[in-house]
Amino acid sequence: KFRMPTEDNLVPIRLDIETEGQRYKDAFTWNPSDPDSEVVVFAKRTVRDLKLPPQFITQIAQSIQTQLTEFRSYEGQDMYTAEKIVPIKLDLRVNHTLIKDHFLWDLNNYESDPEEFARTFCNDMGIEDPEVGPAVAFAIREQLYEIAIQSVASAREIKISKKGRRGAEHAISSKGGGNALDLMKLFRYNSSVVRKRKEWYVYEPIVDILSNEEVDALEAREDRNTR
Amino acid sequence: MEMPQYDPNTKPEFELYTIPSHSSWFRWDDIHETERTALKEFFDGSSISRTPKIYKEYRDFMINKYREEPSRRLTFTQVRKSLVGDVSLLHKVFRLLDEWGLINFGAVSRGDDSDNRDSSLGDTELKNQVKIEEGAPNGVRVVALPNSLKPISVPNSGADGSGNGKVVVAGETGVKLPPLTSYLDVFGDLVKLKGFKCGSCGEQCNSGCYEYSKGSFVICEKCFKNGNYGEDKSKDDFRFSDLGGNSLTHGATWTEAETLLLLESVMRHGDNWELVAQNVPTKSKLDCISKLIELPFGEFMMGSAHEMNSSSCPTGSLNSLKEGQSASSENQNDVKMEDQVHDQMNESEQNGDAATEEPPAKRKRIAPLSDGGSSLIKQVAHISTMVGPHVTAAAAEAAVAALCNESSYPREIFDGDEDYLANGLLSPTMVSDPERALQVDASKMEENQSETQDASSEKNDVPLNLRIRTATATALGAAAANAKLLADQEDREIEHLVAIIIETQMKKLHSKINYFDDLELIMEKEYNEMMQLKECLVEERIDVLERALKTGVSKWRS
Repeated sequence: KFRMPTEDNLVPIRLDIETEGQRYKDAFTWNPSDPDSEVVVFAKRTVRDLKLPPQFITQIAQSIQTQLTEFRSYEGQDMYTAEKIVPIKLDLRVNHTLIKDHFLWDLNNYESDPEEFARTFCNDMGIEDPEVGPAVAFAIREQLYEIAIQSVASAREIKISKKGRRGAEHAISSKGGGNALDLMKLFRYNSSVVRKRKEWYVYEPIVDILSNEEVDALEAREDRNTR
Repeated sequence: MEMPQYDPNTKPEFELYTIPSHSSWFRWDDIHETERTALKEFFDGSSISRTPKIYKEYRDFMINKYREEPSRRLTFTQVRKSLVGDVSLLHKVFRLLDEWGLINFGAVSRGDDSDNRDSSLGDTELKNQVKIEEGAPNGVRVVALPNSLKPISVPNSGADGSGNGKVVVAGETGVKLPPLTSYLDVFGDLVKLKGFKCGSCGEQCNSGCYEYSKGSFVICEKCFKNGNYGEDKSKDDFRFSDLGGNSLTHGATWTEAETLLLLESVMRHGDNWELVAQNVPTKSKLDCISKLIELPFGEFMMGSAHEMNSSSCPTGSLNSLKEGQSASSENQNDVKMEDQVHDQMNESEQNGDAATEEPPAKRKRIAPLSDGGSSLIKQVAHISTMVGPHVTAAAAEAAVAALCNESSYPREIFDGDEDYLANGLLSPTMVSDPERALQVDASKMEENQSETQDASSEKNDVPLNLRIRTATATALGAAAANAKLLADQEDREIEHLVAIIIETQMKKLHSKINYFDDLELIMEKEYNEMMQLKECLVEERIDVLERALKTGVSKWRS
């Protein structure tokens, strides 16, 4: 059954609203089992705390509601639940911190916790900006969400094509795009799970602290890209 | 290779690594039961990516990696880049090894780093300090579109007084924080007490400072007078800003009047800190927030104030007022106590803001009073211990009478809310007692019934002084109820004790009776014996006489 493959079934919500000359961007996680009345309460409080014009309230609430509904529309459906280890890539900028990282995540591990990963990450890398942790967890969640959606789609296709179970597995691993790693190849008996040293840099996290000018430049570029 | 702690000296030619003795089960070439149970996923054959062999590889790699440099603390991030597999699972293995001391046993602990990275604390709380972030976090941006005509006004937080003039804004204007600034450095100062520091002589400017208008340089009055303006600055560029009372009361000292104002403002404006800060003239927004949190019930107010349901404002104001008066309240008589009650009400009248008192709020308020946490009750208790009981009773009656005579609202509200006293301490039967007490003293309330009907429907508009009075009335009512409860308890105790005494007496009597019964028995027996003895004696005498006669003793010489 569809759900976020993490311990807490939280939905990543991204907001990017432009009204009246002001643009509000935000990203956070939401608990889909909260009552929908909370959405409006949250929107109101956000607008008040940030002193935004009141038109934002409806827009924020609508956007959140849309994303929630979309999440819920997947909820009743089956998800392909066989083991799938996917690579997760982080490439984000939070204030002055630039993070690039690459690691593997097991989709079938329903006890996985992106927040814990983010916490360990920030502790180990000595990141002091408290906004980085949640941003990292959010990025992970977003990617997991997308992959979960894909697996729903592929589960549907399997049902439609009515292949046998073996065939299904085969189809999945080829259909998963480049996403799922071929477990057979990786965890073969005579190969080691320790990577070769020359590959370490690929999976090593890179944390960069940017100066003000670099931040401005990057922001300008991002804005140009999104318009 | 590795030695348990109690066995250090066997193979000196190998490197010595210490692990705790409770991990001495560890073997390189084997997987112990501990590991199997802790990491079942590897051993249940559920997946091709989790086998004992793979586990062993992970484990051995991590331990070896740590032992390359035993004094440095191995972080998870360092190992996970070198291992193929789900990071959550790897983290589990890492944590297991860490907990058992197989890695990072001799390493420097991570606690020497800055406080706000302690993983057990949340992101926004540092031990006892609360970080208050001014404005929106930078990740949430309110940005002006390039062509928009509307200017963005961004809230400016207070300048960091350490002379660098770092100003944090949410938006594109202003100076950004230098990199690697911890939020504690910037915002911690806003929470702590810190005046402005002079830029040129480094002292605290408590009374007034001169701000450089072209930048954010600050010098104290002394330096200004002496001409130490700093480089390239002339006298005209400085602007005087009087910190005066501000810096003295900046953050740390809150007078009671201010606290009262703060509470009332929060009641009215709830979460709108701008208005609250405006109402409390000498305190900034942050001070208000931090003070509110420090107050014991502050969080109640923050959470529910905007629903106009906060509970403890009047009690809080009572408390703060009372604390001010506590020093002077020793050796009071009943008149003074009544004066106190009046003083309270007068003071709150002067402040004159509206507060809310819904019935559920009163229910909450009673709890702290009944717990004896209110200093008003302590006051009363203290006074009553110092004077005789009759005086205290008279004082209580007088106070209640004064209250009820002045306003009909307390009684009305009392009548209206029967259940507010049922907080677990008082039985429902006690509720009628304070009401009765008030009724006895306030017999002339009858004619105000119609008024009070209307009043009850407009509770929200009742001004503060009446509410304060209601509060005091409630407090006294609670005290009265408590007293009644105690008195009843005492009665019961007395009854109980008397019963015990009577019983004991009865028992004593019983045992005495028994004793006498026994004595009687004994006496009877003795008497019988005596009789028998007497008979014996008589018989013997007869015998002797007979013998004497037989042997011809002619005359019986008696």
